[in-house]
Amino acid sequence: MTLPILPTTVVGSYSMPGWLERLKTEYFARRISRHDLDEIHDTAVKADIKDQEVAGIDIITDGEARRDNMVDYFVERLPGVQIDRSSKKFYYDFYDSVVQGKLPMASLGLVADFKFLRANTEREPKICVTGPHCLSKRIRNQYYPSEEAMAMDLARVINLEMKELVKAGARQIQIDEPYYSGFPEDLPWAVRVLNCMVEGVNAKIGVHICYGNRYGKPSWEGSYRYLFPTILNAHVQQLTMEFARRGGEDLDLFKEFNPPFELGVGVIDVKSHDVETPDLVAERIRKALEVLPPERIYILPDCGLFHLPRDVAFAKLKSMVEGAKAVRAELGIGERE
Amino acid sequence: MILQLNHLQGKAAAATQEVIETLYSLLSEGQIEPGEFARLRIQLDWLQYKKNFRDVVLVTEGIEPGAEPVPFMHIQIDTRQVVPGCLKPAMQRAMLLAKARSSRQGLLQSEPLDSAPERLPLEEFKPFRSSIAWEFNRLYWQRLKDWEQILGKGYEQALPGGQSDANHPDAVADSVADFWTLLRDLESKQRLPAEIYILEIGVGTGQRYGLFLDRFQALDQQRGTNFYPKLRVLLGDYSLHSLDRSRAAVEKHVDQCSFMVLDAINPLKTLSFLRHKLLHVHLTNVYDNLPNDEVLRRDGKLYFIQARAYLPMTDVVRITEKYGLPFEKARTLVNRLLEGGPDYLGDYDRGMGFWMEIWDAMKLEERLAPFEDVIDTAFPPGLDITKLEEILKDAPGDLRFHLSSGALESFYNTIPLLYPRGYLQVQDIFVTDLNQYRLGFHGPGKMDGSIVNWVNGVLLREVGERSGYDVHFAPFQYRKGSKTSILYTTLRE
Repeated sequence: MTLPILPTTVVGSYSMPGWLERLKTEYFARRISRHDLDEIHDTAVKADIKDQEVAGIDIITDGEARRDNMVDYFVERLPGVQIDRSSKKFYYDFYDSVVQGKLPMASLGLVADFKFLRANTEREPKICVTGPHCLSKRIRNQYYPSEEAMAMDLARVINLEMKELVKAGARQIQIDEPYYSGFPEDLPWAVRVLNCMVEGVNAKIGVHICYGNRYGKPSWEGSYRYLFPTILNAHVQQLTMEFARRGGEDLDLFKEFNPPFELGVGVIDVKSHDVETPDLVAERIRKALEVLPPERIYILPDCGLFHLPRDVAFAKLKSMVEGAKAVRAELGIGERE
Repeated sequence: MILQLNHLQGKAAAATQEVIETLYSLLSEGQIEPGEFARLRIQLDWLQYKKNFRDVVLVTEGIEPGAEPVPFMHIQIDTRQVVPGCLKPAMQRAMLLAKARSSRQGLLQSEPLDSAPERLPLEEFKPFRSSIAWEFNRLYWQRLKDWEQILGKGYEQALPGGQSDANHPDAVADSVADFWTLLRDLESKQRLPAEIYILEIGVGTGQRYGLFLDRFQALDQQRGTNFYPKLRVLLGDYSLHSLDRSRAAVEKHVDQCSFMVLDAINPLKTLSFLRHKLLHVHLTNVYDNLPNDEVLRRDGKLYFIQARAYLPMTDVVRITEKYGLPFEKARTLVNRLLEGGPDYLGDYDRGMGFWMEIWDAMKLEERLAPFEDVIDTAFPPGLDITKLEEILKDAPGDLRFHLSSGALESFYNTIPLLYPRGYLQVQDIFVTDLNQYRLGFHGPGKMDGSIVNWVNGVLLREVGERSGYDVHFAPFQYRKGSKTSILYTTLRE
């Protein structure tokens, strides 16, 4: 599949419509069946795919409409994790979950999601996986001697799933690790765990590191400086980071440390309903081009579009695509493989 | 017929006997049909606000939706105003007015403003949040100084206890300690921003913030933390007089302070450049003074209460005669007062007198709109019919409650300003359990020239949860008998 230079993509989730939120909550209240909810999800995913295609996105995801949040979708698939199903009042709430024994190796079922995506689009598909550091912050550990030990076993389980995804044709996999920014002191062991997770996975692997997007709000603030130099040890090809809302100052870290990674540059503020103009998007891309060559830059929103109204999310993606096109035209660089 | 005692005042409940006798008298005289009687709800209130918008009897008419819509009446009686013998004529009059209204047109149609000779309506029926009463409230805060001069006292003296809980030194000290602890924690995690933004919405006399900053500076020096020079204090109010006055109260700290005209309902509009930057936002007695709507649930069905401000014609005659003004132009005079303030009459004292007496005489009549007819416009941001129905699932079946439209909108438009670990703190009068609405009257009342309503904390809690914040209420423990609570938010994981 041919991708242009400065390819556009998304971080993972697309806008979650109010009607789908209500239906998910209805399911938890046992007012609709699992079968009906699965059908609803399939339909919603097709709509999310269509919106991304119409907006002109080059590398698309399934919009993650099936996921209640980035944690529970994995927690409820991980054998060995016990869930208090009464702990959710609203679908978006986190389950109260606990590990009380060694985590067994098992499939997480993401391959089916990926196949569904690939069957419904001609675009390059990407699948997102919540990382073991993030999961270890939400699952109570009552068995392992340390958080790192539990995260390491989580990484082994997810590693198996990632290899299955590659067998199914996945070439772009994104690992979501927003909690790095909340717990920078964990980074040395978090990178060790990350490397275990990606070992032998033959795909382009990016790590998404933001400052949180729970309820459409940042969970932390600060500078990406905490990542360096430790992150340089990560065996991944790409980092995707937020620069739209927070400004582009931290781009200079790429000049200072010259990391070997591609950079997914966040150019859309997902915490504001104001739609960026293509000019503003282009300006943000140009700023990234001051520190990295175009071949190493991907264009994407700061984070998932989950909390934005659908019309706003769509308009933002359209602006992002237009802004990227404008910069490509300025660069006079053509398509690439 | 269901009779509901909506208060805990034993003495006032003595009026119940007269209510029942009056009802049976009207029934036996054929003034109430048996069918009407069966559908009748009578609610006995005790209004703690000496000045309020209620007549002794308020009859609100509605239509129960269905294949064959059925009209009904909801009667509210202020037991505090009941004197022997007053009920029957008052009830007859109010019922006649209500019936005349409902027979003249569909309940949601507009109605000629001169339709009731005993009353001078000042507006059409509309959501209470849009009522002319709130224009009086707005003018009051703009011209607060004038009221204080005429009354010879500050507005805080109109509060229960004659002073504001906002300025209680122990409460302020605890608030400072909480805030300082947050800063210390952020600093220990290297997450303290270079500039520490805090916001007060509704500055009052400024005394609270003067106390807050004195205390904060002292604690900062005592602990050697050096936070004070990083403080950026934003004082926002829509009353210029209040802003001017607060400047004097924070004089020692004026280099740290910025003063700005700000709409409490939408702070984000003025401060969007500080989105996710504020570490602490504080309000005292602001939410209770923001436009409000009310909802009635009856037999499981929801009705939106529309209101219309009016002046009793006897008061119109009395007031216009007293000030030498043309009786037939009373409504125009009121509108001009609201546009130009008290000076437009040419004589300031006369203008102020006219304003105060009109405000004193102003009352509200009501009608009930089926919720289906207003569903697209009734809700403030953050709330919708699905969420409301979820909240009401475990609430009493028959209930009248505040929608607290202005407070919810303000809350919704304030929390995006908060820094990830920042918090909102609101001192106000909150209903924290919907059952409280069946144990007493919660507004609207009049406080000098302003309006006061209790705030529906149950709805705030729900809107907060869906916006990423847990909302907690703590009793104001610093003054015995205080009805104030302190709302504070914590980040929801």
